[in-house]
Formats: sequence, structure tokens, C-alpha cells
Amino acid sequence: MENKNLVELKNIRKVFGKVIALDNVTFTAAKGEIHGLLGENGAGKSTLMNILYGLYSPNKGEIYIDGKKVRIDSPFDSIKIGIGMVHQISTLVPEFNAVENIILGTPKDKFKLPIKEERRKVKKIMEELGLTFPLDVKTKELPAGVKQKIEIIRALHKGAKLLILDEPTTSLVESEFRQLLKSLRALVKKGVTVIFITHKIKEIMESCDSVTVLRRGKVQDTIDKEQMTKEKLVKLMFMEKDIKVTESALPKVELPAIKRSKKPVCIVKNIEVKGKEKSKGLKNISFEVYGGEIFGVASVSGNGEKELASAMINPSLLSNGDILVNGESIKHLSTLSVFNKGVAYTPEDRIKEGILNDGSIKENVLLGHHTEKRFLEKNLFINWNEATKAARKTIKDYNVATPSEELAIRRLSGGNIQKVIMGRAFVSPTDLLITHNPTSGLDVLTVEFIFNKLVETRNNGGAVLCINEDLDELMIISDRIAVLHNGELKGIFQRSEFNKYKIGLLMIGG
Amino acid sequence: MTAITSFISQTMVYATVYTLTSLGIIIGGRTGIFNVSAEGILLASASGGFLTAYLTGSWLVGFIAGALIGMAFGFILAFVHETFKVNQFILGIILVIFGSGLSDLLYKIIVGVRLSAPQAPHVPAVTIPFLSKIPIISGILNQDVIIYFMYFAVIISYWFYYKTKVGLETRAIGENPKAADVVGVNVKRRRYLATIIGSALIGVAGAYLPIAITGTYSPDISAGRGFMAIGIAIFASWKPQRAILGGFLFAGIEVIAFQLKLISANIPYQFFLMLPFISVLIIMMIFKKQIEFPASVGKPYSRE
Amino acid sequence: MKKKNIIQNGLLTKLLRSLSLYGLALLIAFGLISVIIALLGFSVPDALKTLITTSFKSAFGFQETIKKTIPLIFTTYAFTIPFMIKFFNIGAWGQMLFGGTAVAAVGLLIGNFGLPSFIMIPLLVVVGILAGALWGWFAGFLKAKYDINPIISTIMLNFVAVLFVNFIATSPTFKDPLEGHPITRPLPSSAILGFFHKIPYSIIFAILAIIFVYILLKKTKLGYEITSVGYNLHAAQTYGINFQRTIMLTFLLGGALAGLGGALEVMNIHGKLIEGFAKTSGAQYGVFGILTSLVVAGSPTGVPVAAFFMAVLLVGADALQRTMQIPVEMVFLSQALIVLLIVIIRKKFEPNGGK
Repeated sequence: MENKNLVELKNIRKVFGKVIALDNVTFTAAKGEIHGLLGENGAGKSTLMNILYGLYSPNKGEIYIDGKKVRIDSPFDSIKIGIGMVHQISTLVPEFNAVENIILGTPKDKFKLPIKEERRKVKKIMEELGLTFPLDVKTKELPAGVKQKIEIIRALHKGAKLLILDEPTTSLVESEFRQLLKSLRALVKKGVTVIFITHKIKEIMESCDSVTVLRRGKVQDTIDKEQMTKEKLVKLMFMEKDIKVTESALPKVELPAIKRSKKPVCIVKNIEVKGKEKSKGLKNISFEVYGGEIFGVASVSGNGEKELASAMINPSLLSNGDILVNGESIKHLSTLSVFNKGVAYTPEDRIKEGILNDGSIKENVLLGHHTEKRFLEKNLFINWNEATKAARKTIKDYNVATPSEELAIRRLSGGNIQKVIMGRAFVSPTDLLITHNPTSGLDVLTVEFIFNKLVETRNNGGAVLCINEDLDELMIISDRIAVLHNGELKGIFQRSEFNKYKIGLLMIGG
Repeated sequence: MTAITSFISQTMVYATVYTLTSLGIIIGGRTGIFNVSAEGILLASASGGFLTAYLTGSWLVGFIAGALIGMAFGFILAFVHETFKVNQFILGIILVIFGSGLSDLLYKIIVGVRLSAPQAPHVPAVTIPFLSKIPIISGILNQDVIIYFMYFAVIISYWFYYKTKVGLETRAIGENPKAADVVGVNVKRRRYLATIIGSALIGVAGAYLPIAITGTYSPDISAGRGFMAIGIAIFASWKPQRAILGGFLFAGIEVIAFQLKLISANIPYQFFLMLPFISVLIIMMIFKKQIEFPASVGKPYSRE
Repeated sequence: MKKKNIIQNGLLTKLLRSLSLYGLALLIAFGLISVIIALLGFSVPDALKTLITTSFKSAFGFQETIKKTIPLIFTTYAFTIPFMIKFFNIGAWGQMLFGGTAVAAVGLLIGNFGLPSFIMIPLLVVVGILAGALWGWFAGFLKAKYDINPIISTIMLNFVAVLFVNFIATSPTFKDPLEGHPITRPLPSSAILGFFHKIPYSIIFAILAIIFVYILLKKTKLGYEITSVGYNLHAAQTYGINFQRTIMLTFLLGGALAGLGGALEVMNIHGKLIEGFAKTSGAQYGVFGILTSLVVAGSPTGVPVAAFFMAVLLVGADALQRTMQIPVEMVFLSQALIVLLIVIIRKKFEPNGGK
């Protein structure tokens, strides 16, 4: 037992196109510890661990496991060595149940399908860790938190002695995080090493024995529990950035006390939406959003937030109820007409739903506005001069880093893409902004920029409906928070009543 | 009685073409490769398989040639897609065009224009003692080797997908290639294998057309069956056990349409010949709700 | 100032880049073709010379090239417009056949009324456009309402159209009794478009189509919606663009153009409906349209040039068959090969440029 380090990554370099994702990174994790990997979005945490897991191949560098140099070309190799990884986005087969998912890829008995036997084995591992979940339900019907448990068991079933968790708390609420922590502690006791990727300082402080901080693809430092302080971690994570952050590594913004409008800008009355197979839809939801407030909707992904966002801009999805904007019903309007009523929207998945990837910034800014009078000639031809003007204004107002409005939007960074999407929402006068996970995956400066824009809209008397799965964020910027669980509204909290634990429990139906 | 027997045996013959072709498409699709090129493979292996059988005098060698041609197409599809990430549908369509050009070119070069078309060697029938003598049943049982091969292929694929772990993994690739990749399944290799094996089956179906059905090669011999087989694969929700159902259904329609054409005097025969094509669309309209797709079919997969 | 430079430089390098890509693809493809020609025992230099220069050596060669370019432009657009939203219209052939057949049938039915040319010709052109549009729209409809992949539906509709041509061309009402093959009686002369120095007048319609497509796609609201759906269906839908309407429209437009192409073949080239009229050099115009479109990666602006280039090869192919007895399929095959190489090379060097 001369070697106390289980994992050593030496001088890892990884380049994507022209971007250096990892620059000469050296990383070690000791046996039987929970080792944090901290850094803001885009720092290179996932990339580093995907290299260890064999999903990416490094341009340079060496990997040592138990002091022995190893070659990892694919997950097949890493699993054989005893590495398991739980990815941020579920990697289960949605059509398969838990057992089927767990036995995938195991080397023995390739031409048999011993489900019963495997089921027993899986149960045993579950009991040892104190985890429970249904084994015979298609995983597409399970919430994100449960899927994560299945992925942990899947890794252990394959004999993992090193478990990598990539941002495991994204879709967990406070109490679930505690439970996860307990299970991880139980694992560590049995000799498993855990690498815990996160961008939240608080989580590191609460769970890790030591932490390595990455910034812009470089290791800043590795420190042990005894030396961990919030200030130190903040400094390592952000270094030169002059910014105030919370314990969740989110920017602090001021929410000045202002008077909200007398009449609500938007009234949602008893709406119902039929859910598709995975979700139960929306049941009898009512709330109001006033001018001069940010109304947050907190929801663990898959609890109806998607349906709510869609129904707000596409009321044809409503099976019951009504939505009023500025006193007028929008129930029978098309999406484009809803936009023309002063509603704007920024979608959850900015790449999939937010942008025309190969289109120019100009074409992107026009999206959703292309039937407005201002952008049309003779009601038939697009007025491209106006579109250019609007695009240039967006680029200027939102500090989009680009040489020209003609550039293809896919060539922008994620943060700049989100700025264009946000700017597009304000091309025409907007009374109600509906924004869904507006900051996910962005670096802290962009998050601060987006926060400020939302607050500015609010301060100018606009109404903002912010649907978000990150409760920490909502607690910073919201005037009120409504909780959505299982398609039902579980309560609305005033800013003075915000309580992370309490709201978190409601979010999972507790 | 003979009419029924001949209807049954004719249906079985065409069902073999449909089922093998759609099974080939399904096998590719289960790993995410949507093999649109089936029509091209049918044509190329019809021509190549026929010519080989004709030149060697052996039906078996003809079928082997058909399968090999199919495998070559499958390899090109998998290679170009996996290496360059070229859109599968574009590739498939180019391969259809390629196959249709190649089939006529081969025939023209090797046989040229002749007054009487050369004939392929006969495919032996499997006769089962006693049973083969009973009417109707004899029509069902007294069939050539390739029909039995088709049954065998369907059963084996069913067993593979639903009774083995490799099969489970292979289905996983079709649903979510990343899920298979992260548990150590070699997605690329499986995609190559599946596309090549699937295309080999389509190749056998292609060779079957001239060797067993018409006895000789003619241009456009596949007559759109490669595309109808895509319809069957979709109708079957990419399940082998349902592909054979679809195969028999479409074959039945084709044979009935042909028989009706001979019987009816009032309605122009062209409208009967339209039946199979129209019924593909109608059947897909009717079964719209029941159809399931492997989620990744037609989509490229890469890790980064 | 600086901004402008970047864009112009960008455009220039882009142009040079794509020219060199085409050069590379053609070089490899012609290399392969040469090998095959040599293997078949023909003289490579002679064959290549014939293939490329026939169109330009004589007035006849050039006229033939134009004659093939015109229908090719129509079928290429028929593929290109739905392809802009990433759907495959394999049905240009059927839409062309249906357009041509409708024109022949209507033209013969009203032929005795003695309508003058200035009524007859526009009327029949509209009939052809409508028939093609209907045939194309139906595939879009099947996708929009029943989620049937247009690759399948358009092929099925092709076969139905082929049988429909056969039905019209053999029915006693229309068939020319003097002909052994399925061919209708000639259309009345008032329905016939003529030639100008042996160049068919249908070229005017082709030019109009080019202008129409350009304006439609680049300048109009509808064009913007089509482009947007093509860039990203989900985003376009999220922001209120109706996908079902868009797909039906693209197939309708594609079908209309193919139908017009078919109508013009009947009214200008043949003067009657001939079974198999929508074919040339061993395959149908629909297939050549697909290949032509893929040569320019489905870019609508590149269509006329690409169509001319492909027509040059087709005229060359006919000459090869005539003078050297090289089967036309050889060239057909080579075109597929050229397209495959172009697609691969484009993907390799401009990963986001190719579709």
C-alpha cells in the first residue's frame, strides 16, 4: 500500500477546434475520499473527467491508476479498470427498465438474458446503500433524481471503485442532496473513491474531503478540507473577476424595493394541459404576474414546467382555462400573435429551441418578429434593412462579441448566444417576458449580465415570469416564487418567506 | 383449390422478398442506421446475383454473390456515415441511384442485348415427406430453400434482440447510442456489423427476384419493393416478428392486385397495379398511432 | 470599414475554398471514371474528351444541352425546396409525369374548341403547375398529418403516376391509333410552344422559375420561414412558425415546379404524351434532379449552374453511347460517384457547410 493516490492525471491537454479546454492539467484523487472538482461552467471539469472515463481522448498527457500507467481509449477500458461515471444528462435507455439498463455492457453471458438473477444482484447493491427505486418501470417514466440513483447502481454493479459524479445536484433539491451525500459516505466507507464535480462552493464545503479548483482549463490549486474557506474557493474559482458571489457561486444582485403595477400584466386562470407520456401535464394552475416583479416558478425538471412555458406562448395546447395578457384573453391566438401582444420568450434549451444554428445573427434576431409590420413591406417581403438595424442594436445593447450581424450564430460562445436570445425578446416592446432556465451552463459574468437585464426589466415596470429548476437562482432574483410539482401549483412564497429547505421539499412533493 | 394454392405460394414468394428486405432495414435501424438504400441493393444484387448464378450455373453461388454485393453497399453506407458523418438519407439515396445504374450496366456489359434472355438455374424446393402431399398445406410447405432461410432469419433475429444481452445492447444503441457507449459497448463496430449483415439479407432478397421469381433479369426488377420494405419496417415498429407480418400483408396485396387485373374487364388494369403502392400509404396512415421508432434511427452519433 | 473587410475576405476565401473543393472532387471522380473506362477496354482520352466537349463542339450539341438543362432545372428545384427544410422529395419524377399527363389530357379534351394560343398555352401551363403541385402537396400532407416519411410517400406516388401516364397514353380517348407504343395523339398546334433557333421557348419559363425561386426564398416572409425551419425546426416552431404549413408548402412548390417542367416537355419538346417522356440518358429527370441538387449542397442559388453542368455530362453520355458504344449507365454511375465524393469532401472540409 505504498500508493495512496488512486487516480493521477498528468499534464492533460485537450483542444476542441481552436479552443483549449484543458491546458497541462495535473489532478490526483486519494483512495477512499470524496474529492471535489470545482470550477465555473466551461472551466473544463467535465472534459477532464470524460477523458478519465475514456469518452474523450486527450491530445497529450498520461493517466495513472493505483500508480500504474494505463491506457484508456473508451469506457470499455475505464470500466474494466474500475471507473464509473454518472453524467450530468441521463445516459439511460429511456425505453428500458432499471435492471435492463444496469446489466447493459457487462461482459459475461453475452448470449443469455438472466434478468431474474441480475435483478437479485441489483437489489442487493441497493440495500447495501439504502437506495430504493422501482426496477420494472421504463426509466423514461422516472424523475431525474431516481435516474441518477440507477446510474450510480449501474456503475457499482460493474464493479466501480472510483465513482465520478458530474454535477449530480442539478436536478436535486436540498433534502435529496443530503440523501445522496449519505449514500456517498456509505460508499466511501466501503473503500470507493468519489469524484464530485460541481460549480457550487457550498456543496464542496459540505461534502468533500479535498477539492481541486479548475479555471479556464487550468488547475488553480488542490486543497484539503481543513484549509477550505468560502473566500479562498471563490478567489480560486474566479480570480481576477471583480464580482460578488453567493455560496452557490452565483452573482449577487440588488432587488430594489419598487411598487409593482396595480393590475396584473398576466393572469393565468385554471389552466390545464394534457401531458405527453413522460409528464402528467398541468392541472388547474392559476397565478398572476404583475408589472415590476419577477415571478419565479421553481420546478424539478419534468414536473410540468415545460408544458407551462409552452402553453404560455402556444395557448392552443390548453385543454382548459384561460390566459389573459393586459386584460385580453390570448386563448385563441397563435404563437406569433401572442408575441404581438407584448409577450416575449426565451426557451430552456438555447441550442435546440433557441437559435437557427446556421443562420446569421440577423436572421436569428428576426425570428418571431418576422410578421410584425416593422419588418415587412407590402405584407409579403422582409424588410432586411430594418432587420439589420434591429440586429445591430441587439449586438450593441447586449454586448454580443461578434464582428458583424452576418456571422453565423453557431460560431458564438454559449454566453453570447444567450445574449442574442435575450436581446431578441426585447426587439419589440415587451410587457411580459417568459424565460426558462435563462442562465444554465453560463459563466458567472454572463449570469450576472442576464440577472441584471431581468432586474432592469422588472425595475422598468415589466413583468417577468422566470421558470427555473435552480432554486438558488430564483431566490436571488425573484419577488415571489411559485412551486410546481407533478403538474400542480404547490404554493406561492413572498420574498420574505424564502426558505431553501422548505421550498425544496415542496418541489419534490414532500 | 389450385387457385388458392397458387395464391398462397405466390404470396409466400413475394413475402420472402419483402420480409428479408425489411428485416435487413430493421437490423440496421436498430443500431440507428436508417438504410434507405434498400432499393439500390435489391437492384444491384438482382443483377449481380443473377449474372453470377447464370455464369456459374449455381443458384447458391448466385445468392452468395447477392449477399456479398449487399454487404459491399452496407459497408459503404456505414463507412461513409461513420467516418464523415454524411447524412444517412442523402447517402442512401445516392446508393439507390448507384445501384440502379450499376445493375443495368453490369447486365449490359456481361450479357448485352439478346433475343432470348438467359435463364437462371433453378432453386431447389424443400419437400417434407407426407405433408407435402396434402393439398393447400403442400402449397405452404413445398417451398424453396430461401423461403425457409427467411423464416430462420426472422426467428434468429427475434431471439437475438429479445433473448440475449448482445441483442439488448444492440437495441440500446438504437434508442440512445450514448447509453450504450458509456457502458462500454462499441457503438461504431456494432453499427458497421448491423448495417453489413442487414444489407446482406437485402442482397439475398435482391438475388431472389431474378433467380427464383422471374428466372431472368430485367431493368427495374425490384419495382419499388425496396422502398415498400422501408414502409414495412416502419409499420412493424422495427420489430422482426412484425416484419414478417408486414411482408405477408404486402405480398398478399401485390398478388391480389395482379389477379384482379386479370379478372376485371371494366376497370382499367392500371388502377389495380396502383393498389400495392396506395395501400402502403393507407396502411401507414391507419397504423400511425401504433408506430414506434428507435429514437436514434437516422441520427449520427459522436462523443464530442 | 473593418467589418466590411472581414465579410468580403470571408466571402472570397469561401468562394476559393468551395471552388477548390469541387476541383478536388471532380479530379478524384474523373480519375475513378478513367480507371473504369480503361478497365472496360475503351480509350480514356477519347472518352473523356467526348464526355466534356460534345456540348460545345457543335450548335446541335449546345442545343441538346439546353434542352436537357431546362427540365433538369425544374426537377432540381423540386428536390431542393423541400430539401431546404431537410425533407426529401424523391417524387419530382412523378410530379413531372403527372403535370405532363394532365396537360396532355386537358389539351386533347379541349383541343377541338379552337381556343387560340394565347389562351391555350397559359391555361395548359397552369394545369401542369396545378397537377404537379397537387402531387407534391399530397406528400407534404402525408408527412404533416400522418407522419409518413416523404421518401416513401413520394416514391409510392411516383409509381402511381407512372401507371397513370400509362392509363392516359393507352386509353382509347387519347391514344394515337397509329402508334404501337403508349403515345397520345398530338396536341393541337395552339397548345404547342415553338423553338427559337432550335432553342425551346420553355427556356423563358426556366428563367422565370429561377427568378421566382430566388425572390421567394431570399426576399419574402415565406422564404424566411422556410429557411428558418431548415436551419432548426424546433426553434422555428418554438417561435411560432407552423411546421405543417411549411412542409406542405415546400412540397407544393416543388411539385408545382416539377409539374411545370413536365408540362413544358409535353408542350414544347414532344407535342404529345409519350410514355417515359420524363427520362433522359438512361434515367429519369427526377433522379438527375436529386444528384444536381446535391452537387451544390441543396443551395437554391447554385441550381442553374449545376443543372447546366449535369446536362453537359448527359449530352456527353449520349455521345459516348453513340460513338464509342459505352453504355449511358456508365455516366449515370459516374454522376452518382461525383456527387458522393462532393458530399464527402464538403463534409470533411466544411463540416457545417454540407447538410
